[in-house]
Amino acid sequence: MDMDMDIPLPEELELLEAQLHDHHEDYLDLEPPEPYPEDEQQQQQQQRSHFRSPPSDDDPPSSTPGVQSNGQKRSRTTDGPDALLVLEESGPSDEKRSRTTVEEDLPNEADEDWLRYSPPPEESEPMVVEEPAVVEEEKFVWRYASEIDGDFIPVTAPSGGDRVYAKINRFEKVEQPKKKFDVVSQSGGLILEPINVLLQKAEQEAFTKAMQASSGEPNDIIPPETPVVHEQLWVDKYAPNSFTELLSDEQTNREVLLWLKQWDSCVYGSEVRSTPDDVLSALRRHSSISQHRKSLDSNFPRKNRGSRWNKEDFSHSNALDHKDSGAKGVQDLWNKKSRSTGPPEQKILLLCGPPGLGKTTLAHVAAKHCGYRVIEVNASDDRSSSTIEAKILDVVQMNSVTVDSRPKCLVIDEIDGALGDGKGAVEVILKMVSADKKSDTGKENFPNEENHERTSAKKGRKTASLLRPVICICNDLYAPALRPLRQIAKVHVFVQPTVNRVVSRLKYICNKEGMKTSSIALTGLAEYTECDIRSCLNTLQFLNKKKETLNLLELSSQVVGRKDMSKSIFDIWKEIFQKRKIKRERTNTSSQPASSEFEFLHSLVSNRGDYDMIVDGVHENFLQLHYHDPVMQKTVKCLNSLGVSDLTHQYSMRTQQMALFVYQPAIAITVHRLVAQVQKPNIEWPRSYQRFRTTLMEKMDTLRSWFCEIPPYISRHLSTNSFIEDSVSPLLHILSPSTLRPVAVTLLSEKEKSDLAHLVSAMVSYSITYKNVKFSPMPGEHRHETTSDALAFDPPISDFVNFKGYTSGHYVVPLAMKQVLVHEVEKQRIFQVSTGRSVHLMDGCNKENQILFGKETSGPQPAKGALAENPTTISNLRQSKPTTSTITSEFGSSSNAATASVKPKSSGDKKRSHNPSSFFDRFRKTNNKASENTDNFVQHEETLERDLRPLLFKFNEGFTNAVKRPVRIREFLL
Amino acid sequence: MLWVDKYRPRTLDQIMVHQDVAQNLKKLVTEQDCPHLLFYGPSGSGKKTLIMAIICQMFGPSAEKVKVENRTWKVEAGSRNIDLELTTLSSTNHVELNPSDAGFQDRYIVQEIIKEMAKNRPIDTKGKKGFKVLVLNEVDKLSREAQHSLRRTMEKYSTYCRLILCCNSSSKVTEAIRSRCLNVRIKAPTEEQIVKVLEFIGKKEGLQIPSGFAARIAEKSNRSLRRAILSFETCRVQQYPFTSNQSIPPMDWEEYISEIASDIMKEQSPKRLYQVRLKLYELLVNCIPPEIILKRLLYELLKKLDIELKHEVCHWAAYYEHRMRLGQKAIFHLEAFVAKFMSIYKAFLIATFG
Repeated sequence: MDMDMDIPLPEELELLEAQLHDHHEDYLDLEPPEPYPEDEQQQQQQQRSHFRSPPSDDDPPSSTPGVQSNGQKRSRTTDGPDALLVLEESGPSDEKRSRTTVEEDLPNEADEDWLRYSPPPEESEPMVVEEPAVVEEEKFVWRYASEIDGDFIPVTAPSGGDRVYAKINRFEKVEQPKKKFDVVSQSGGLILEPINVLLQKAEQEAFTKAMQASSGEPNDIIPPETPVVHEQLWVDKYAPNSFTELLSDEQTNREVLLWLKQWDSCVYGSEVRSTPDDVLSALRRHSSISQHRKSLDSNFPRKNRGSRWNKEDFSHSNALDHKDSGAKGVQDLWNKKSRSTGPPEQKILLLCGPPGLGKTTLAHVAAKHCGYRVIEVNASDDRSSSTIEAKILDVVQMNSVTVDSRPKCLVIDEIDGALGDGKGAVEVILKMVSADKKSDTGKENFPNEENHERTSAKKGRKTASLLRPVICICNDLYAPALRPLRQIAKVHVFVQPTVNRVVSRLKYICNKEGMKTSSIALTGLAEYTECDIRSCLNTLQFLNKKKETLNLLELSSQVVGRKDMSKSIFDIWKEIFQKRKIKRERTNTSSQPASSEFEFLHSLVSNRGDYDMIVDGVHENFLQLHYHDPVMQKTVKCLNSLGVSDLTHQYSMRTQQMALFVYQPAIAITVHRLVAQVQKPNIEWPRSYQRFRTTLMEKMDTLRSWFCEIPPYISRHLSTNSFIEDSVSPLLHILSPSTLRPVAVTLLSEKEKSDLAHLVSAMVSYSITYKNVKFSPMPGEHRHETTSDALAFDPPISDFVNFKGYTSGHYVVPLAMKQVLVHEVEKQRIFQVSTGRSVHLMDGCNKENQILFGKETSGPQPAKGALAENPTTISNLRQSKPTTSTITSEFGSSSNAATASVKPKSSGDKKRSHNPSSFFDRFRKTNNKASENTDNFVQHEETLERDLRPLLFKFNEGFTNAVKRPVRIREFLL
Repeated sequence: MLWVDKYRPRTLDQIMVHQDVAQNLKKLVTEQDCPHLLFYGPSGSGKKTLIMAIICQMFGPSAEKVKVENRTWKVEAGSRNIDLELTTLSSTNHVELNPSDAGFQDRYIVQEIIKEMAKNRPIDTKGKKGFKVLVLNEVDKLSREAQHSLRRTMEKYSTYCRLILCCNSSSKVTEAIRSRCLNVRIKAPTEEQIVKVLEFIGKKEGLQIPSGFAARIAEKSNRSLRRAILSFETCRVQQYPFTSNQSIPPMDWEEYISEIASDIMKEQSPKRLYQVRLKLYELLVNCIPPEIILKRLLYELLKKLDIELKHEVCHWAAYYEHRMRLGQKAIFHLEAFVAKFMSIYKAFLIATFG
């Protein structure tokens, strides 16, 4: 097809120029060279009548107003003259909609013809191109087909004598639609310049059927194709071709376009940019005009200008050069402005809004305006991450070998649709964007084509950067899958176009289609569908086909039905909290406003279905409303109904009777009736309940894991409830006594020492320690370094009384004291471990339980008479948690204060001097548990003496049980 | 080591508060025939202590040697496998566990794990004491299904397994289970008993207690022995030579609730209600059960309330507590109570003072 396209160019030029000249005067003049009369309407009529007269024998009733499918069309076109006649007859007013079915052979031919015979039709192409908006490329394909048909008349004609007429009829039919299209394009098409560029490339691309709507326009020359065009959905047929025709909010449109323009420096470099710049400048002018435009007529001046642009561009188009000399001035201006800007900060554009407002259309139109080729990925495609990655890479890296060298723009439609797959897409994009941010520094301001090469070279190396605009489209901005995307993307929320705008457009279309409507009815329709243009058009077309008129009163019964649309949850909350203005009631004037409101809310809430979340949101926000409530009765009622909602929810979940959920929407309505206000509510996402749940779980977890660390003889008596209720506050008081002076332990009085010992034992038994807030506690080192850091309880029990806005009267131990405590506790722990497991288990109990103690000592002691000191050491060990801990505490503090205290050593020496004589004897005779205990004890003394660090190496000397004693590694090193 | 733990009685003989119960239990145990037991009573009354003392009486000091086990059980429930994590304390003869930790999956714990434990007969060479003991805590938090599955286990394996159940409120334990157990009610200790215990501890620690001081602590303790002993020790830590008018540090959450109560009394409006909600969330977040919050809040409000309103307010408190237990989101119902109170109180104020 491409080749075909290229060949005819010179011819096209000629034609174009001729046409253009004509255009300047009047657009309609274009047609004279071709079969059209100037007045299209008239011509249509004439032609129809022309053709109708012969086939009068056919029965009009046979033509059913019902469905028109492509298949039907084709069959119709192909059949013998009779069929054609029938067709024509049926729809003088309706334009041939009604058609009887005919043989199918011919249509096939027709199809093939389209493909084959593209060259001849090209004459028409250029003309077509000029007229329509920049965007539509598919038109060409269609034209070929149509043109082919026309040319072929002689070839296929032999079927019957009447053929000639019949064929002519077809063409004429084609013309009629064409004319309409032309009008459309005229009205909208200010920005025609890019078309030249587009033309060459556009032909190469096979576009989605949706875009074919515009295709009708090109067929100016050859009438016969009409039926095809005719049966298109109006939605497609009247889809905006140019930026100015967009119905969506002007502001949004322009921002989207600006965003796309920001890519220019990155994508095109300065030189290539010219064409789009022109477009933009033209756009701006036009859009400003379009804002003021009330009627379609006002479009014409614009169109003329557009055609002028078009001409200029066209002259250069042969060279395939994008420079547009005519637009230099504008371009320069624009360059100055935009040169400094690199690719936009946010590399993704996220469009969201309810269906039918034209998001996809906007994306396509805007991208085309800016000279991009649109690659669309929607929910119907495979969107797994690998596929999408390949696709994006394709967009970013590849330049098509074919003539269409425009850069591509990726449009990911319905990105919120699929959960699993859609996420894949989001992930890939996120990955690319983040990769981009890292590597993207130097790439920003390349004004030249070098940039182009360089970037492409770079692309080859690192695949993962995003160099082309990506537009994502979604309905629900708050879909969970989009959460990460929301943060990095530039988000545009579509708002409904004003009713006026929609209505004027609808009216225009209706006029074109020859449908009689009143603007009141159209307004009603627009409001009913909430300005969903797509559904408006579909409805109108449906009615038109049935030959019914739009009736305001019967709107709800006529229209196929209201969309089963679930709104975003924010909208639902808004509806609940905000009184609607009377606007809504007008659509159903027959029913009471209250009941319609009820119905509306009910369907809204039940369509959404996420009752739990809705109720949460209501609960979170309703107190912020300013409703009049002197004695809180409304509030009580609201909370009561929330309570009921909670009860029913819980009940239906527990008993799995989901049918009970039908009663949930009523609760929202109750709240609405009670507190709804006219002014706009300020709605926040309900976080507090979720936050409450998660923090509660966290705290429960810390408690539970803490209880697991506490020795069982204590922990079994603690339950979370009783602990929180009874124990936390006193425990905190006990653990931070205000009487303890923060001085070196050596300086403490006896009483204070015993207090300290008591405190340490309490902390150890509850396995509480102080922890550096930043680092995990390493008492050996951090006591010197981290003096400035705050120490907090290790299981963060103080958090449990740390209510917001509450100052607890807890005394906080000074930092120095905390450090001492950390050290003491650590020491105490090591001591406990090293005194042996058996002791450890009993440790807590045996001080006051003489029974156990007796049992333990009377336990296995084979070498009874061996050592007199053995029992004493044991008893020493046993009795005295207090004494040992005081000793240890002395050591700790002394080291802490960095004073080498003599006292510990002396005590250690004393112990040792006591021991040595029997040192080895003892081991030989009592290598049992008892001896181990004593040994450990001695060992512990040594530990204290030589090194205060808690690290303990155990080396078992010898290879039998004969001699087994732990030795410090230092002893080997020395 | 805190005094609570240090002076916890370890045998039935040492028990001071519920001596009559202890003596009966002792007789029961010495006769070698011990039924299933269900202990219920408020927290801080000594249920756990009694249970441990009984076990000690049954098996001797070996029951003191327990090991903590945090085990993951794989349970087959229909088509899927469920992993349950459960912490148990076990000695050779008894196992303690807290089945309600598993939340809504507690049924599987009862059906699989407890049954399996109950099935396995302890190997005892001497042939006597042929039973082991399972201690289940917080039975009242078990779901209904779990309790139903428990009752058959109790019957079937009763020859060599005894269950000791422990809970706060027997009303949440199904009839079926209650009828299979010997119910032992452990009431909260009276203030005199608390005083006696405190004095005992004081003597052991060699402290001078001014007269009336112990009584004051007991009075503030809400008849919870644990709380009494803890605040006693707190006082000791804060200021030793006791003075009889020494301040006894309050529970923080109770203080907080009384702040909330005074907030409510000061102003009644949706805005204030919103602030109260935030504070209630604070309490809830810190693991304080909503029932207790409601109870305490009512208590604080009643203190400041005109006598005419007390009845009505109590009624509504009960009403909302009921709904709270039926429902799931406690905050809704707590808040509804506060709103209701505000409404009543404001109407009352308007009626009284115009």
